Amino acid sequence: MTLITVSDLTKTFGNQTVVDNISFSIEPNTSTALIGPNGAGKTTTLSMLTGLLSQTSGSIKMEGVKDMRSVIGFLPQYPKFFSWLSALEYTEMVAKLSGIEVKQAKLQSQKILEYVGLGAALHKKTGTFSGGMKQRLGIAQALVHKPKLLLLDEPVSALDPVGRREIMNLLKEIQNETTILYSTHILNDAEEMTDQLLFLRGGKLVEKGSLKEVRARFEEPRFKIKFSSSQQALQFASQSELHCHVEGEKVFVEIVHEQPTMQQMLNRLANSQFSIESIEKVTASLEEIFMKVVGSYESV
Amino acid sequence: MSQFKVLVGKELRESWRSFKLLWLPLVFILLGVSDPILNYYMMDILKAVGGIPEGFQMVMPEFSAADIIAASTGQFQSIGLIVLIATFVGTISRERQNGTATLLYVRPISHSALFLSKWFVATLVAMISVIAGYAASLYYTVILYGPVEWNRFIAMLATYLLWICLVMALTVAMSASFKTVVAATLTIFLVIGGTIFESLVGSFISVSPWKLPSSSLALLSDFYDGTDFIINLCLSFGLLIIFILIGIMMCKSNASTTKI
Repeated sequence: MTLITVSDLTKTFGNQTVVDNISFSIEPNTSTALIGPNGAGKTTTLSMLTGLLSQTSGSIKMEGVKDMRSVIGFLPQYPKFFSWLSALEYTEMVAKLSGIEVKQAKLQSQKILEYVGLGAALHKKTGTFSGGMKQRLGIAQALVHKPKLLLLDEPVSALDPVGRREIMNLLKEIQNETTILYSTHILNDAEEMTDQLLFLRGGKLVEKGSLKEVRARFEEPRFKIKFSSSQQALQFASQSELHCHVEGEKVFVEIVHEQPTMQQMLNRLANSQFSIESIEKVTASLEEIFMKVVGSYESV
Repeated sequence: MSQFKVLVGKELRESWRSFKLLWLPLVFILLGVSDPILNYYMMDILKAVGGIPEGFQMVMPEFSAADIIAASTGQFQSIGLIVLIATFVGTISRERQNGTATLLYVRPISHSALFLSKWFVATLVAMISVIAGYAASLYYTVILYGPVEWNRFIAMLATYLLWICLVMALTVAMSASFKTVVAATLTIFLVIGGTIFESLVGSFISVSPWKLPSSSLALLSDFYDGTDFIINLCLSFGLLIIFILIGIMMCKSNASTTKI
């Protein structure tokens, strides 16, 4: 069962194509990360999903739902609230606007605000809130009507490390109960909670799949051998027929079709007179993958 | 309907907490009080600030109560309207520009409820202000100049309130259509410019929406010619509906201009 299907989504402003023929689908109760550098079209894509922007072409479909706005919760990158309303008044208002009846709206608002950790600030004006509190309120207002799909635009980018950790933990908790689609340019976040990755570059969807799949495609496994001196490293590299790459005292040996194996490497080194400090098998970090997939922005 | 109620509640809270409901009526009360008092004490004021030169003959005009009410209306028509327009012309556009509208627009919100709530509260606050202003003016006029006929005054007030309704509908519709600065310029140009135009060449035109304030004043006087009045009333009601429809349309089509 698919929760939402996006096909051939395109958005052009004048003659500039900001989102170019994107297709993907999201399964219920999963979390999907929309990854890409600034200007890749992440926010535009999310805006179209919320209905704030209408697409130039393509379609967004949700099974059995007429007005998608009633089943979506949205948190923009910089949520802005009416500064003269208290957190509870605000959440209650938006809950009612989403069609929840008066009594229920109050109950649900109180519950969700306590859940996101604003229990002590229910009656404080939102104008006095700090960045982290605003983000919490943002999450609360996005969740108060129990949406099927939660859209988050850079949920933690604007926060300090402490606030970031708190919000990430909160999102991980929420993840168990609802479907999340969030955009980010911070890969550690994506690594922490993601079932599906969508890489955007210049408005195009350049790569998609689970973290494991993308890893497998781009990880480029290598051996990293550290020698006691750079001469030894150079010597090893020049003697061996393997694909080597020297960086000071370190030599990276490429693994092609699972050759050589760790066993073979160890045997080889054990029988030589090189003095070795360490050897390990390394794979590309998500950051390197990111750079590989979306990094060469100019070449688009 | 329930969305309309929720949004009206929000707008009223805003008006209350930003003190609009306090200072706008105060502005109108000040404007309303100034004419009866200034005119009545004009001689005393002139004496107090240095007197009239000797040999200078000046006859102070004899004002009737209706003249004073008309003078107060003149104040409301210029300064009062500018203050009202400036206060409410950003009611929709500013929310879009600062991004607070975004989290409302992503809800299954009805744009007619949105526009009507804005217009309703703007009109309500404006009406309270105008009524407060007229009440203050009337109080001093009656004390200093004599009685005003009640039924005529009510007829005048009702007609003037229709005009306020219309101005607020235009203001909020402009706010839905353009950015705050453009909307303010256009609205002030249309309302104040139109009023000036009306006062210059109005006597050659019998039917125009800008006639509403002057015909409301004519209702106060003894010789009142009501032939075009009904037509003007109908025209104003028609325009009111048109402004509201345009406003709702623009609310919907410009929703995507909200800052995300």
